[in-house]
Amino acid sequence: MEDGVTATQVVFWILAVVMLVSAIGVITAGNIVYAALFFIAALAGVAGIYLILTVEFIALVQLLIYGSAVVILILFALMLTRARERPQALFGRSRPLGIAAALGLMAALIGGIVATTWTTPESSSAIQPVGLQTIGDAIFTIWIVPFIIVGVLLSIALDGAIMLASPDEDDN
Amino acid sequence: MVLSEFAGVSMPDWLDAILRIIFIVALMTIMAFALIYGERKILARFQARVGPTRTGPIGTLQSIADALKLITKEDVRPITADRWAFELAPYMAFVPVFLVFVPMPFTETWFIRDLNLGLLFVFAVLGLNIVGVVMAAWGSDNKYALLGGVRAAAQAISYEIPMLLIVVAVVMVAAGRLAVDGDASAAGSINSIVGDQTTTPYILLQPLGFFIFIIGMLAELHRPPFDMPIAESEVVGGYFVEYSGMRWGLFFLAEYTALFLLVVLASSLFLGGWNWPFGADVGLGLQIVLTLVKTTVMIVLVIGSRALFPRLRIDQLMSFSWKVLLPFAIVQVIANGIILSYGGADWVVGIVSFGLLVALGGLVYYIMRRKQGEGARTVQTTPATPRVITAPEVTPVEAGGD
Repeated sequence: MEDGVTATQVVFWILAVVMLVSAIGVITAGNIVYAALFFIAALAGVAGIYLILTVEFIALVQLLIYGSAVVILILFALMLTRARERPQALFGRSRPLGIAAALGLMAALIGGIVATTWTTPESSSAIQPVGLQTIGDAIFTIWIVPFIIVGVLLSIALDGAIMLASPDEDDN
Repeated sequence: MVLSEFAGVSMPDWLDAILRIIFIVALMTIMAFALIYGERKILARFQARVGPTRTGPIGTLQSIADALKLITKEDVRPITADRWAFELAPYMAFVPVFLVFVPMPFTETWFIRDLNLGLLFVFAVLGLNIVGVVMAAWGSDNKYALLGGVRAAAQAISYEIPMLLIVVAVVMVAAGRLAVDGDASAAGSINSIVGDQTTTPYILLQPLGFFIFIIGMLAELHRPPFDMPIAESEVVGGYFVEYSGMRWGLFFLAEYTALFLLVVLASSLFLGGWNWPFGADVGLGLQIVLTLVKTTVMIVLVIGSRALFPRLRIDQLMSFSWKVLLPFAIVQVIANGIILSYGGADWVVGIVSFGLLVALGGLVYYIMRRKQGEGARTVQTTPATPRVITAPEVTPVEAGGD
């Protein structure tokens, strides 16, 4: 590490700064649409980190699902409501409770990271990039049952959302 | 690979990268000029006009005149617009589209980078384009812009899903065919998909796929008959209504670039790109001509659709995607899976896909007929004329047409 900074490290630190700044932006932006836009930047940064870790597939899926679809749906909902106006009360009576919860989560995460013994590979060449075919084989053969269960769960959630949102014809 | 080989010199990576970027931007600007001119001329012919004639020989310099006008135009920002969203939106719409250029194969060796996950890359990056559209729509503080942006987002999300599924179906076929040569994992790379189409363009194997891809492409590009997000008569131009000058030009450039790139993608996936029908040995010169000929034919089709089809309604568009295209795309993926895992021949894949296409056509025709029938029934329920005069009875068949 001391002898020369590699290009990967430079990219990592740039991404880290971008992610941190936009993550802070998400929670401090008074405007909720700004928060959603910062969220996109943060998620794009995560995709960049995945790229550094040579898992291109996960990076692209991250961009495809979170970067466009999910955030667009969030923005979609925000734009159709009165999100442009600043929320009246960002902090309520539960403020100390929120601070406590956030600090507790932060402590748990940092504790977890510090307590874990990380196995470091000898050199960067020891990291084997995982091919798309390996991922596909794993999902569709070994882990097929969890995959199907997740699929069924998501379908049920979708159906439930439609049921809740659709106007009830029987009641009126 | 393109430039350093072309120039016959080796150069450092960073210089190579910069040269590639310049190459892309220059090529896309020229391409946009050509497309604007082509669109105006072709559209004019469809409408029995001649199009631009005054600027340069047969109007060929019209696009340059347009560009000059755009550059010199005043850049106006509405006073109530959200500054950051408004000013950054054109770039957010424009940069992702240019990135899509990277894995596009124009000949066997001419591409920026042959990504192993090229197809996924195209859709992952192109999807970010909609963020710019939404930013413009929201930032403009204009209800028409907002409506257009919401429509664009809904449309983009709806049509992305059948399109992605159909690309999965194509990759399945490609993987099955490439596995014969022993490298099925290359099926995500666009260049190897084109490389497999020496004798059989995939439109023969996946006709339904081609159909769904073209429809999805028109919807993603906001081309008629799916141009509700930018419909002048409904939302006065849609999400870029408040933009002027070069910012508006950037949206336009992004749109034409996306048109060109998706057309190249369609011709690579389904029409054999640089490969079919002459094969890989034909040489660079003919390969690029082949790509451009296929691309041009498809661009003429896309532009023609603007003149030929009336605009749909937004609810028709959404139900067509979710109730027709998506189920058929899923059925196509499942059918391909079953056929390929039992080692079915190529012609089986092709016939099944063609059968599905016919079923889709039949279903849409049936729905349309039934809707017309409903219209006719409501006409029938109106009080009948008293039968005093024995005139030939008028059948109410034509009454329901709209």
